[in-house]
Amino acid sequence: MIEIENLSLSFGDRRALDDVSFHVPKGAVTGFIGENGAGKTSTFRVLTTWLLPDPETVSVRVGGIDLLKDPHAACSRVGVLPEQLALPGELRVDEYLKFRSRLKGVSGNRIHDEVVRVLNAVNAPEMIRRRLDTLSQGYRQRIGLADALLGDPPVLLLDEPTRGLDPRQITQFRELIDGLRGNHTLLLSSHVLGEVEQVCDRICVISEGQIRLEEDRETWTQRLDQLGRLHLELDCPDTKAKSQVTQWLKEQPEVSAVENEGSVWSIQADRTLRTRIGKKALDEKWIIQELRSEPATLESLFLQWTGPENKKAQS
Amino acid sequence: MKRAYFLFRKELTSIFVSPVAWIIMVLFTLVMGANLYLSMIAVSGDLKQLVAAGYGGLVSWFMLLVIPPLITMKSLADENRQGALEVLMVTGISDASVVAAKWAAAWIFYVILWCCLLPLWGILGMVGVLDTGVLFVTHMGLFVVGAAYCANGILASALTSHPLASAGLAFMFNVGLFMIHWLRFFFRPGDLELLWVEYLSAVHHIGDELTQGILDIRVFVWWGSFTLLTLFLSARVLERRRW
Repeated sequence: MIEIENLSLSFGDRRALDDVSFHVPKGAVTGFIGENGAGKTSTFRVLTTWLLPDPETVSVRVGGIDLLKDPHAACSRVGVLPEQLALPGELRVDEYLKFRSRLKGVSGNRIHDEVVRVLNAVNAPEMIRRRLDTLSQGYRQRIGLADALLGDPPVLLLDEPTRGLDPRQITQFRELIDGLRGNHTLLLSSHVLGEVEQVCDRICVISEGQIRLEEDRETWTQRLDQLGRLHLELDCPDTKAKSQVTQWLKEQPEVSAVENEGSVWSIQADRTLRTRIGKKALDEKWIIQELRSEPATLESLFLQWTGPENKKAQS
Repeated sequence: MKRAYFLFRKELTSIFVSPVAWIIMVLFTLVMGANLYLSMIAVSGDLKQLVAAGYGGLVSWFMLLVIPPLITMKSLADENRQGALEVLMVTGISDASVVAAKWAAAWIFYVILWCCLLPLWGILGMVGVLDTGVLFVTHMGLFVVGAAYCANGILASALTSHPLASAGLAFMFNVGLFMIHWLRFFFRPGDLELLWVEYLSAVHHIGDELTQGILDIRVFVWWGSFTLLTLFLSARVLERRRW
């Protein structure tokens, strides 16, 4: 649904996007993650035609339309919830959404129904007559999302959609985004990687204006499993026994690293090793105080992907 | 074009739902009403001279120079700062349409302000003999010069991201145009340059010609062209993010 090929964008001498290529399949929720200034918002701004890419850009297609050839048609296929949501406080919700509907080309007789539809979609129908400056941050975000949904665009770009929301509002907003899955293709930019992990089917990592990685959920979950650690604590005062345990752990094929401190072992291995540790403990009469898995998070993967070693390898 | 019209309607609504607009209207009517009253005393109740005395004086000029920057200062500057402009542009509306709609809304409000004085003229017309032709031509002059001053305000608003900076810049543009009039002291009668200065001078047209009921179509063409050029420049300034 979104296909970007060799997208470049420069501000004077500074290159904000450098040969960016990625694609977002139809109906998928894709997390677009990167540090501050990595190029996420710049990419969004190109997709909304707010900024024009450099002439060497090969193609930017949104909903099958070449944005470089027909920016207006491409623009009409995109709904945006910007990071910085500015709503005219003096207007009521219905006045604002009707105005936006007209700008987006919704025909006159359908406007009221469209406003009701999008307000229902974001679970805020009771706000229809409220002034925008009296809304809480959570409802303001919902109205922003309702605006993005006007005209039923196939592609939605959500830039930091849960920024400034409290934990309850974040949960509710996540549910809203989840509800849009399938009907719309979503590209979601966020710094909250836990949120991306929960909501997204795919991730696309950008750093210093370059795409570092594109992966689907299955692949990154496997990586997380590989990077997960087991925490083992034994009641074993004997130094000899400790070295035996360490030796046995190192011999296991799933284990890639073992660290021992006192009677605690931190083991980088697949979670399946737990069963074998349990059996071994029974055989050797080890007394297990604690055995738990510490799964790796997307954050640790992100740090790895955008770390200096990865950048060096890619360059 | 349709999008520009929808934006114009929304802008006008936004102006009138704000209390600031109503406060400006009340203050403007009070100050200009007092100005007309004092002018009437100065011309000893001669209504034929009242238009020139009331609208050619310093108070009217002050209003003409100050009001457009105040109306337009938030148009683009504030929206740019808050990110509202980006939200607006993602609907596919063109830069030129945004500039045209914002200018039109500001100008209509400006016209409405001057029209607030019409009831006063109506009352004067009932008690004396009023030259409606002179009054009409003078108002046309105020509107056409105001259109240019509002366009200056829009350009200033596109150039900055802070409403106060925008108002200051627009005021400077307007004063610059106003000061052209005094260049005539550098030339002698019959000089070609003097003709140019008089042609470009708003004071000359409103203060001398239009308030006497002299309708010179060139005045309207010049100020109309100036307005269009300034609006074109504003649209180009708005486009600069893509350069």
